[in-house]
Formats: sequence, C-alpha cells, structure tokens
Amino acid sequence: MKKKLATVVVSVACVCLAVSVLSSCGKGGNGGVTTIKFASWATRGDATTSEDYISLFEKKYPSIKVDYIAVTEGNYSEKLNAMIAAGTAPDVILAWECDIGRFAKSKAIIPLDDYVKKTTAFKADDFVPALKQLGSVTGATYGLPWCLAAEIGYYNKDLFDKAHVPYPKDDWTWQDFVDTAKKLTVVKDGKTTQWGCDALSFQGLWYSTIGATGENIIDDKGNLVLGEGAKTALQWQYDLTNKYKVCPPPSPSGTNAVDLFSAGKAAMTRTGNWMIGTYKGIKDFKWDIVPLPRKDRSYTTLHTGLYTINAKSKVKDAAWTFIEFALSDEGQAQIGKNSSNPSARPSVTAKGYYRSGGESGPTNWGALDASVAGGQFGYVMASPGVTNKAVSDFNAAMLGQMKIEDAVNDANAESKRAAQ
Amino acid sequence: MRLHNGPLSSRRQKVDVTAYLFLSPWIIGFVLFSGLPIVASFLLGLTRWDLISQPVFIGLKNYAEMFSAGSPFLHIFLNTAEFSVLSVVITVAWSLFLAVLLSKQRTATGLFQFFFFVPAVVPSVALAFVFQLIFNQDVGILNYFLGFLGVKSGPNWLMDNRLVIPSIIFVSLFTYSTGQMMLIFLAALKDVPKELYEACDIDGAGAFKKFRHVTLSSISPILLFNLVIATINALNGSFSIIYPLTDGGPALASEVISLDIYHQGFKSFRMGYASAVSTILFALVAAIAWLQFRLSGKAVQYEN
Repeated sequence: MKKKLATVVVSVACVCLAVSVLSSCGKGGNGGVTTIKFASWATRGDATTSEDYISLFEKKYPSIKVDYIAVTEGNYSEKLNAMIAAGTAPDVILAWECDIGRFAKSKAIIPLDDYVKKTTAFKADDFVPALKQLGSVTGATYGLPWCLAAEIGYYNKDLFDKAHVPYPKDDWTWQDFVDTAKKLTVVKDGKTTQWGCDALSFQGLWYSTIGATGENIIDDKGNLVLGEGAKTALQWQYDLTNKYKVCPPPSPSGTNAVDLFSAGKAAMTRTGNWMIGTYKGIKDFKWDIVPLPRKDRSYTTLHTGLYTINAKSKVKDAAWTFIEFALSDEGQAQIGKNSSNPSARPSVTAKGYYRSGGESGPTNWGALDASVAGGQFGYVMASPGVTNKAVSDFNAAMLGQMKIEDAVNDANAESKRAAQ
Repeated sequence: MRLHNGPLSSRRQKVDVTAYLFLSPWIIGFVLFSGLPIVASFLLGLTRWDLISQPVFIGLKNYAEMFSAGSPFLHIFLNTAEFSVLSVVITVAWSLFLAVLLSKQRTATGLFQFFFFVPAVVPSVALAFVFQLIFNQDVGILNYFLGFLGVKSGPNWLMDNRLVIPSIIFVSLFTYSTGQMMLIFLAALKDVPKELYEACDIDGAGAFKKFRHVTLSSISPILLFNLVIATINALNGSFSIIYPLTDGGPALASEVISLDIYHQGFKSFRMGYASAVSTILFALVAAIAWLQFRLSGKAVQYEN
C-alpha cells in the first residue's frame, strides 16, 4: 500500500515537472504572436495620462508582444553585462554609451546598418551630429538613440527678482556665473542661508565644466584623458566653493537626499534636463532653464540609451520592428511626452513634444534645444568605474583633502589601469 | 568513515549513510553555490576578463598590479584594517552593553528589547539613506543639535576623510548584525549561574570584578563566536552599508576591500583583477578567523 502511494506521488511529481519545463520553453509561435524581451532603466511613463510607446507599438503590431524588463538605473550596466555573460540578455538591449563599444567588440550585439538602409520610418541623416562620435568608436551603427538628455542650468526666478538680478542669458560666461552667484548668496550671522548655486551633485557636470575649457575629455578609443583644462575647471569650482563661497561643499547625498534648489535654498543649480520632470512639481517659486555657462566654448554632455539587438536573439526581425517604431515620428513623439527628453532626431525635437514643465516651469525651451544640438558624448563613453572614482577625487579636492593636480593625475592613472 | 565487521558495524554503517544522506542537500548546495564559485574565483584571478568576452590567462599579473607601487590596494587594505578593528571592538562592546542592560531590566523587558532591536530590521540601504540626511552638513539634524551646543558650522561627516570611517561605524551600530549579537549575548547571559554572583557578593567583589571574572568568563565561548562573526561581517559585509552611504569616498577614504571588488568587477568590468582581490580577502578572513581561535586559548572557558 505504501509502495503504491509512493509510486503515485512520484509519478504526479514527474508529470508536474515535465509540464512546467515544457511550458517554459519557446518564446514565439504562441498563436502567431512573437514575444520580444526589452530591458530598460527608464519607467514606461504615467499610464493614467498617456499611453507609453510600448503599448502603442503593441497596438500597431498585434503579432508582436513586448516583454518589458525594468532594471534599476543604479545597477543597470552591471545587470546587462551579467545577463549577456549568462546568455539571458533580452532581444532588444537599451545599452549605455560606455557599454556599446564592448558589446560590439565582443559581438554580443549586431550592426544595424542593413536595417537602417532599408527603413522608411526615419532618415539616416536626421540625427544630431554627436552620434557620429559613437559610430567612430564602434566602427558601425550598432545602436540607435532612445532620446537625448543634456546638462543645463536652472534658476529660481523669484530669488532673482527679489535680489534685482537680471536673468542669465544663453551665452553667459563663467565670469557672469560667478558675479550672479555672488549677488544671490545670502549670509546671516555667519551662516549661509541662501546659496548662489548648489554644489555639483551629478557627476556629468564635472565633465561638462571641464569640456567648457576646450578639453576633449576622452581619446579616440573612449578612454578618459584629462589635462590642463581639467585643472582649470576644478580650480574654478574650488574657488566657487572656498574663495567666493557661493556653492556649498560637496556631500555624498547630492540630489538623492538633499536638493537645495528645489528647497528654495539655492538660487541656481546645474544638472540634467531630466530634473525638469521632478521640478515641474515645484509650486513655491517660478523657475527657468539656461545653457551651462561657457568658458572657451559652450559644452554639455549628452546622455542617451541606444537600442541594440542581441546577437543571440532568435527574433531579430521582430526586435528591429520594435526599434524602427521607437525611432519613427510616432514613437519619438510619445517617448518625448513620456520622458520629457528631446529626440535625437532634430526634426522631431523641433515639434516640441517633450516640452512639459508644469505651471512654474521653464519657458526658455530654446536653451535645451541648443544644448542638445551642440552637445557631445564625452565622459559617458568611458568606464563608469573610472569616471565615478575621478569625481570622488574631485570632491575630495574641493574639500582640500587632496591637490587638484593629484586628483587629475589619479584619474588618468585609473583610466590607464582600466584600459589594460 | 571506518568500516567494521559484524552486525554492530553494519548498523553503524547504516546510521552513517543515513546521516550523510540527510546532510547531502546542504553539502550539494555548498559545493554548487559556494565551493565551486570559490574555486572559479581563484582561477579567474589569473585571467583578464571583462565579463562578456572570453577570459585570457595572464598568470599572476593581477597580483603583481595589486602590490605594485602606485596601486591603491595598500591604502584600501589599511582602510579595511582600521574599519574592521574599530567596528568589531565597538559593535561587540555595544551589543554586550545593551544585552547586560536588558538582562538587568526587571519590568517591560520585552518592550526595551523591541526598541533596542528594531533599528536592526531596517534594510541597510534605507538606513544609509536616512543617515545621509542626518549627517548632511547643511540640513542634517545632527549638526542642527550641535548648533544648540555652540557649534556654528558642524562638520561634513561623510565627506571628511578623518570622520568618515567613525561615522560609518556609528551607522553600523544600528544594523542587523549588531542586533543579532545583542540577542545572542542576552541568551548567554541568562545561562550564567546566579550562584557565582552570590558567591562574589559574599566575598565582597564589586560590580566590575563580577563582570570580569564571572560574566565574561561564563560567556567567553559566545564572546569568541560573536567576535569571529563580527570580524567576518566587517571584512565581507561592510559593503552593504558603505556602498549606499559613501560609495568608498571621498577619494577612497572609506574604500574597503569588499567595495573595491565590486568597483573593479562591476563598474570597471575588470573581473580578473576583482577575483584576485577577492582571493586575497578570502585568505585574510580565513587567517584572522584561525588566529582568533588560536589566540582565544585559555581565555575561552567551556563547561567541560
């Protein structure tokens, strides 16, 4: 009796195991619907106010379903790399600029040139010039941009009005920035109650400041290389913090925990345009945007994600159909509305779909258009380990814990080590 | 497993085999998920590998780089030593202090135990986020209270290379491992025979002598256990609190070996070098644990 019961139990267990194994096999061929996997760090937008572009794509192409994999931004790059190493990477990978070169070199992704030549959804020459920089590193078109983000300046119009300081102009300089920040810094009883400008919290601003001195920041292989321009930029930021005292000292929390601009305690800040989405909730004061101040040139770092196709994907054509839709006028318009980021296609950016700044928000949208049009993919091409460590050293230099020259030399040494 | 002849040995063999069968799930799990990865890590330490290409054998070059002039590894090693020694001493002492207080508590013991332990169940990342706010130089509550004591401009706790490690150790007092040590000490303190304290009272011993000669001696095996656990936690587990709090900054002032492994492996994609560093960490942890057991010697008193 016990033997019979054991036999029945084991048989049922085997059947259940077989059913679960068989049901997990295969991606497509399910009633004629092909499923593609797509990973991204960005959210799919607010579904209550507008449909995101993935839903629009599925409506337009009912035979293709998108299995969306959301990955947290902080661990996005390492997660993708781990997925590729394990052979579980999605069909469409939204790759960062620093990864695409390695993915291409190790043949983890395929070139898209043949697809791009045949498409009618967009023109190959309707992209910002900076994208050629990416192509020169990879040798071919391995990825197409999701949208574009740039680093810009934000200012509190109410605090400017209160201090009778004119609003910054689009072609303002480093000296204009210092003069403006000095007028907007308020000190009471030896304590600064209002800063002219917040500290640099996003690492890209360090490199945009360096780029404004004329320095190229990366070499033709995408490795970080810093020189005299970096020292000039760091010295300027050091003076803002310690000599003119218009910027607070750096903190590790940055805008993750404390945002002095949105709290009304800093009259200006410099960060990415993606903060427009956060700041549009500000109700206490009016604010606007302006390009970053220039020194020898105007410089802002561009940020994007690039749609790539996994070399091991079994549904490459379906994956391309999704990418083609995302880059089409319809896809880019919806991405702009969802992300508040301009398109990498100037013809779409000109239509202003991304412009959504809230009641107190920006009016000077031309500042963002100009920044995107003239921006460059600089430090984002280099290894995040190198650029993150360099910024940690820059912050230490601002606090007088290391010399500026040592911080720059350490960054170059780390870059050489990483390149080996 | 020695094989004997006869019915008694046959029964003994059956018991041994049964025991191993029950242990086998753990053994299989250990081999698959710990043992093999450890061996793989040793081997990967001899390669150059960026995670997605094929590993390339380079011999001991990773180790040569680690110990070369100009390498930050020595600085990171010293940070690790400083953090580990201070962290172990302070967290073990603090958890023992709390356990002693709880053991003497007569009323509402459960309530005090709850309040002492509740910070330990907060996830490390959430804890780090909260303390980033607390330690913030401009708007942090710590500097706000220091202002009442006459300190006009409080320090930049997490960005000052002299204060960052003590600040992190302070945060680690609120982590799960400290709370766990407190509970383990509390259980051990309850087992100390009361007659020993009564004998001390008769002999006129003071509180300090009672604590040193009775309490500490009686809980010495548990003290050793917690010291070893705290050491392993400080060397291996410090990543979970340091990464969200300071990410090793400013300028490697709080970079420890476990964080360096993460940065090299998953930020710079130098898996080979990261594996070599992890091999060094493995050897370090093993050596320190062995040393602790060796040096405990006569200091640890077991019941038998």
